[in-house]
Amino acid sequence: MKKPDLSKLKNIDFKKAARDFIYGKPHEERRLGDLYIPGTGLYKHREWRGIKDTVYYFNNIWLYNYGNIVADLFRYSGGNPKVLIQFLKGTLRYRWMGQTYLTVLHWFDRGLEGLRGEPLKASAWHYRALVSASLSQIVGMFMRDTNIGGDPELRAKTMGHDETVWGGIFYPYKDQMENIPLQMIPYFVTCHCNNHTVLNYIDSIQSLGLPGDPCPMCQAESGLYVEDDMPDFYPAYITTNEACDGSVATSIITDWLAQKPLYAMPQPMQFDDETVLENCAKEMEGAWRFIEEKLGVEFHWDELVKNLEAQNELMRFEWEKWDVDANTPYYPINGVAQALYRIFQSQYGERWIWHEVDSKVRKIMEKCVEERIETFPKTRHRVIAWSCAPLYYSNWCTWAYNCWGLNVVINMDSLMFDMEIRTDSYENTLMDMAKYHELAPMRRNAVGGLHHIFMLWENMEKFNCDMVAMYDQLQCKGMQGVVGLFEDEFRARGINAFWVPHALPDKRTVPRSEIRQIINDYMFTVMGEEPLDPTLLDFDDSDSW
Amino acid sequence: MIGRFIKKTLTAAALAYAGLFVVFYYDLDGKLLYYVVEPFMKKHFDNMERRDPHSVPYMQIEEEYM
Repeated sequence: MKKPDLSKLKNIDFKKAARDFIYGKPHEERRLGDLYIPGTGLYKHREWRGIKDTVYYFNNIWLYNYGNIVADLFRYSGGNPKVLIQFLKGTLRYRWMGQTYLTVLHWFDRGLEGLRGEPLKASAWHYRALVSASLSQIVGMFMRDTNIGGDPELRAKTMGHDETVWGGIFYPYKDQMENIPLQMIPYFVTCHCNNHTVLNYIDSIQSLGLPGDPCPMCQAESGLYVEDDMPDFYPAYITTNEACDGSVATSIITDWLAQKPLYAMPQPMQFDDETVLENCAKEMEGAWRFIEEKLGVEFHWDELVKNLEAQNELMRFEWEKWDVDANTPYYPINGVAQALYRIFQSQYGERWIWHEVDSKVRKIMEKCVEERIETFPKTRHRVIAWSCAPLYYSNWCTWAYNCWGLNVVINMDSLMFDMEIRTDSYENTLMDMAKYHELAPMRRNAVGGLHHIFMLWENMEKFNCDMVAMYDQLQCKGMQGVVGLFEDEFRARGINAFWVPHALPDKRTVPRSEIRQIINDYMFTVMGEEPLDPTLLDFDDSDSW
Repeated sequence: MIGRFIKKTLTAAALAYAGLFVVFYYDLDGKLLYYVVEPFMKKHFDNMERRDPHSVPYMQIEEEYM
């Protein structure tokens, strides 16, 4: 019998191995890139983060969230056991559900790679809120969807709306009806969770003859209808021109294929003009008349105030978070969790889950501040990410921190909707709601005028950033027009900045590996720095979720 | 009798917990979804009969707009 080769054992530092097992490896020794199965984004095994954090991840993230997905089905259906049948039917009927959302725990994995301690906990809570808010919409759609035997009575009291219509529009009626965004779940969240499915919808609309260069968000949203993959959960709906005129085209195709009454509620492009605000308020009142007529509901002022006050509470906590984020190294939320939570919460509107998660995050953040826990200790550069992000690679900032120590502390879309709404009189409330409606994603800072997009400089200073990650959505005609202006400004101001080209949901145009390569090149050649984890420089995740 | 039942239940729970940890650590949930579930669902959706969009008339519904 052959004797086992024990020579390798002699070279093992058992003390260090034990320390790594208990506490996890130091950042520079993790070799996270070695964990991937090439091409797939799957892990040979999930990361060992030390006993405490691995057990936390297993119990409080993996098991907890799988369990809560089931619990949320019942929670959002009022405990109706029919939800299980409707969920199964919906999973088998809609590609965006059956092929996408089952992979949700990998969405957590990608966003939370490398995190330890308090940032792991706080960021995971944000993901929990995203999943719960998504399930509220999924359950809402499937319980009402007449394509799969949903309840017509529930459907009759439901208003569909473009995902870029702020959910607050419906606050006066929340005790009598439900509002569910049309595309937030079938399109937007799918791209982050599993970007395979959205490609079908982009290809569908192009199969009708649409050229390939319009905004792929608008293409995919229209493609849902072309592909006949939209649940029938609403008798009427409200559309808008946000993010840009491309969304008007989405509405035209939706109008054709949905065959339902709609109210088009525009969001002004040049929103600084006060007369535009008045017009916007009138449009909002028109939307309220439409809702009342189509659903037979009444305007309840108290309901509006209650929901606005609750939303104001969320806003105030967000400002507290930004204060800690901007002025200390103790902010416990990573770039992708910050971005996705904020955009989802402020766009979708008031829901119980945001408050529950905020109370957990508040405790974590206060602990970090009180105990002076440096949450991202390998930070070499504080980065502000500007313009709109690649949806298929929203977790690029997790990679950037692990590989290069680039800590994306804030992003443009988090800064939209940054206002409280007065509730002291109908007139003030209406004007503030109109203003809030105007400060929407891609309008607040992007296509709302040059001085708004140039608010980058003041936010860079406010958040103490020394580097800019400038997103370059290749199919956004508005933002393409300002590339040269930014180049000039970066040079004139001596700002370190790299571009992140992408095509929003479509990973085929600029693959994730190309984004990484651009950043790698910048860090090597311009910054003259070496990576923290060289295994993350280049790896194949071409067909990952 | 009750003691044996509790012991068996605890053992089963411990084994289930350990089994789930193996699934978690080796990303077996991801592998199952990636290699088995997603290709199956993809095939299912690719073969699904869908409405031809051209069959939907392009017209304005009465009282559609406000």
